[in-house]
Amino acid sequence: MSKEILVPNIGDFDKVEVIEILVAAGDTIAVEDSLISVESDKASMEIPAPEAGVVKEIKLSLGDMVSEGSLILMLEPSGEATAPVAEAPAKQEAKVESAPVAAKPAPAPAPQAPVKQSPTAKIDEASFSKAYATPSVRKFARELGVDLGQVDGTGRKGRISKDDVQGFVKRALSQPAGGGLGVAPMPEIDFSQWGEIESKPLSKINKLTGQFLHRNWVTIPHVTQFDEADITDMETFRKGMAAEYKEKGIKITPLVFMMKAVVSALKQFPRFNSSLDSSGENLIMKSYFNVGIAIDTPDGLVVPVVQDVDRKSLVDLAVELGEISVKAREKKLKPSDMQGGSITISSLGGIGGTKFTPIVNAPEVAILGVSRSKMQPVWNGKEFEPRLMLPLSLSYDHRVIDGADGARFTSFLSRVLSDTRRLLL
Amino acid sequence: MSNIIEIKVPNIGDFDAVEVIEILVNVGDSINVEDSLISVESDKASMEIPAPQAGVVKELLVSLGDNVSEGSAILMLEVGAEAAAPQAQEKLAETTAPTAVPAPAAASYSGNVDVSTEVVVLGSGPGGYTAAFRAADLGKKVVLIERYQSIGGVCLNVGCIPSKALLHTAQVINEAEEFAEIGVAFNKPEIDLDKLRGHKDKVVGKLTGGLKHLAKQRKVKIVQGYGKFTSPNSIEVEAEDGSKQVVGFDNCIIAAGSRVTKLPFIPWDDPRVMDSTDALEIQEVPKRLLVVGGGIIGLEMATVYDALGAKVTVVELSPGLIPGVDRDVVRPLERRIKKKYENIYTNTKVTAIEPIDNGLVCSFEGKDAPEQDTFDRVLVSIGRTPNGKLIDAEKAGVAVNDWGFIEVDKQQRTNVDHIFAIGDVVGQPMLAHKATHEGKVAAQNIAGEKSFFDARTIPSVAYTDPEVAWMGKTEEECKKEGISYHKGAFPWAASGRSLSIGRDEGMTKVLFDDDHKIIGAAIVGTNAGELIAEAVLALELGADVEDIALTIHPHPTLSETFNFAAEMAEGTCTDLYAPKKK
Repeated sequence: MSKEILVPNIGDFDKVEVIEILVAAGDTIAVEDSLISVESDKASMEIPAPEAGVVKEIKLSLGDMVSEGSLILMLEPSGEATAPVAEAPAKQEAKVESAPVAAKPAPAPAPQAPVKQSPTAKIDEASFSKAYATPSVRKFARELGVDLGQVDGTGRKGRISKDDVQGFVKRALSQPAGGGLGVAPMPEIDFSQWGEIESKPLSKINKLTGQFLHRNWVTIPHVTQFDEADITDMETFRKGMAAEYKEKGIKITPLVFMMKAVVSALKQFPRFNSSLDSSGENLIMKSYFNVGIAIDTPDGLVVPVVQDVDRKSLVDLAVELGEISVKAREKKLKPSDMQGGSITISSLGGIGGTKFTPIVNAPEVAILGVSRSKMQPVWNGKEFEPRLMLPLSLSYDHRVIDGADGARFTSFLSRVLSDTRRLLL
Repeated sequence: MSNIIEIKVPNIGDFDAVEVIEILVNVGDSINVEDSLISVESDKASMEIPAPQAGVVKELLVSLGDNVSEGSAILMLEVGAEAAAPQAQEKLAETTAPTAVPAPAAASYSGNVDVSTEVVVLGSGPGGYTAAFRAADLGKKVVLIERYQSIGGVCLNVGCIPSKALLHTAQVINEAEEFAEIGVAFNKPEIDLDKLRGHKDKVVGKLTGGLKHLAKQRKVKIVQGYGKFTSPNSIEVEAEDGSKQVVGFDNCIIAAGSRVTKLPFIPWDDPRVMDSTDALEIQEVPKRLLVVGGGIIGLEMATVYDALGAKVTVVELSPGLIPGVDRDVVRPLERRIKKKYENIYTNTKVTAIEPIDNGLVCSFEGKDAPEQDTFDRVLVSIGRTPNGKLIDAEKAGVAVNDWGFIEVDKQQRTNVDHIFAIGDVVGQPMLAHKATHEGKVAAQNIAGEKSFFDARTIPSVAYTDPEVAWMGKTEEECKKEGISYHKGAFPWAASGRSLSIGRDEGMTKVLFDDDHKIIGAAIVGTNAGELIAEAVLALELGADVEDIALTIHPHPTLSETFNFAAEMAEGTCTDLYAPKKK
């Protein structure tokens, strides 16, 4: 009994190229063994075996484009090999702070007039029933939940076609929640009138990042809180350690300290470790501490997420960070490597600048920008003392976080950074 | 403020000195613009003369049989502001919305289940079996509960199908008789009722047998017996022998249909009193038959019994036959059956029926009807009542309103999420083709699709002779709802095809809105039921007057008249002289 093994849900990838086939017909494979590697513009990932068995036939070849549901191979499952490790309660379930959903009691409909939330509550039935669309287009619109009354038809005499319905959905999806902002469109400009130009297509990462940043910029009310941390002592300690670990090939950077410090701040101020749910009615509080790190790659900006920072040592983090940046530059990050963050750190310290205003990486509610540290005279009460000061720029979602909390967060953070012994507390 | 004006015969084309064959208004009547005033007839065709203005009729200046020409005075009309008032009142009355139906508290059922299934369909009529088959085709395990031995419901067993078998017979008899006029005379038909009934039963048998086979192919299990809810997830089915079994289900589609409405004062135990089911059995052809109810069912059965030789009298409570359709469309039918039938009493009530040895003595209350008359048989066809209250729906928590209807949303869902309802039991019009469409919607939603009842019209057909068919809005509805429209009408007297089959009374009328899109159509004439389908398609596709006028129709056909009616509205028709209005 051969079984078809299909490409599973691989996140927002569609039509990705098969760059490697890791098994051959006749191979005996175990659950989670990698079967093939696929690569999009943004990252590559390996697709694991959903069950154990013997590969009977490979159904695709190098260079094929695959999507969710594409056939990979035929597998003859081995009965005993399955017993999959009881899936560890992978993550503590995100607690939803909302009114508890009324447990459905044994069907006993309320004895009063039935007020039922129709799934099409948003459709204006009166205008739907007048829209100039054939029965098949109406059926299609129903499947997508489109209110035909709002769709402009491009057919003869304004008839609405299936394409019009699709176009309507696409536009609706690309619009930020809450609808358009009503700004005037950018004028089309012929730049060549002023001199020589060259048109270069944006990379896929550029385009995607652009979309997300634009959405976040216009939908999240941003506030940026600036602060400075005295990292003189931290740096002395770090440099000592760095020298020690250099021989082992481990690079201890200021970033790992920052990650630890941010996590201790998140523990102190749990609202910073949250997300608004899609309704905007509830705050999802997270009990995990994953930190996203913005990494600049030749193709554009990527933000891999380091999991469970609270449970890792500085050295662990340094090692992981090293691996991640290599993966990022080699475009080997999987979509899962870039999801599930609590907060993001964007460090431009290695480059320069004094302060900047980072854009919150939604659905997270805060992002910490770090600029280049500088020796500065600091008044210690008696005299000016040269101290190494690190500029911090914390942007946050003002819907979730108040200004006072923003200031408390950065001052807590700078206290921790100036005396890293506090990390132990 | 009012003044009285004289209404004259307008330019009526090449008619001159035509006979007034009907006067359609009385002194004191309030009339609207375009209401028909009189009918005139030449040897070529007949036509109605509409009112140029609204007002109250003060005096009639013509009488039946007069010859009129352009400029002849018809009547005196009082025009003034107050004439408009009654309409407003009508509107007010209609806005009183029905009050919300409270949902009953459901029973809980803890007993054992004999048959357990994903989907149960209660009732195997055209809606029920369609829903069951569609659900099965979408991969569901389906049980179909039917009270009677034979599946197919009223439509197949005692409704649409058997009546059409008999109506065709009636048509052949009538045509054979009428052909004597054009020189082809047949002998008087000899009618063998048993054989005729046998033919009808054979047609029914073929279809219901076919259905059983279709059910088997789809592995739809048929459970025979009377089903009633015992909880939101179980139905108890009682077979004729009294044995009971319980069907447990995840989803249910209520397709319990409707039954003949029975007035309390009627002696139903007398075999000479029939409902439509009894009438279809044609036990005998009575000498004199009274049909109570001048709707579709009553008039269809009247057609059959008239052809078979009965003298038919029709009594209708409302002012006209087939209420709900524009009068100009019903009039050709009315005219024909007035000649053929013994009597047609509108605005008349039957107040009592008393069985005596040599007949049924019926008492009437109405202007034209006698106080009493005696008939050999009486057919009562005054409407149908939904079966919502006969299935213990409250035990499932399903709300049933006072009339016995179950209210549903556009996805056919009742107030209980996993229970759907379709067909006659959810509301008017009680028509098989509405039920089948709803059945599919319900089945598809149960199978996880997002399906809605989005049809824009449900056509209706009376299979009388001539047939009457309509869809979309009627003129009466447009006026009532304040919808501005224009129309195109084509009289079949100018259709070569119609004249060649020996008939000239038909008419095709199409209504368009201000964007010139079709919003309604009505057809009276031979095969109107077949012809209306094109108008339905045009409406669903949003065709406008130009689309219809520019679509080439085969000549000579009756279908052409739809095209001509659009041309009439457009002013491009060349088969009639129709001066452009604007």
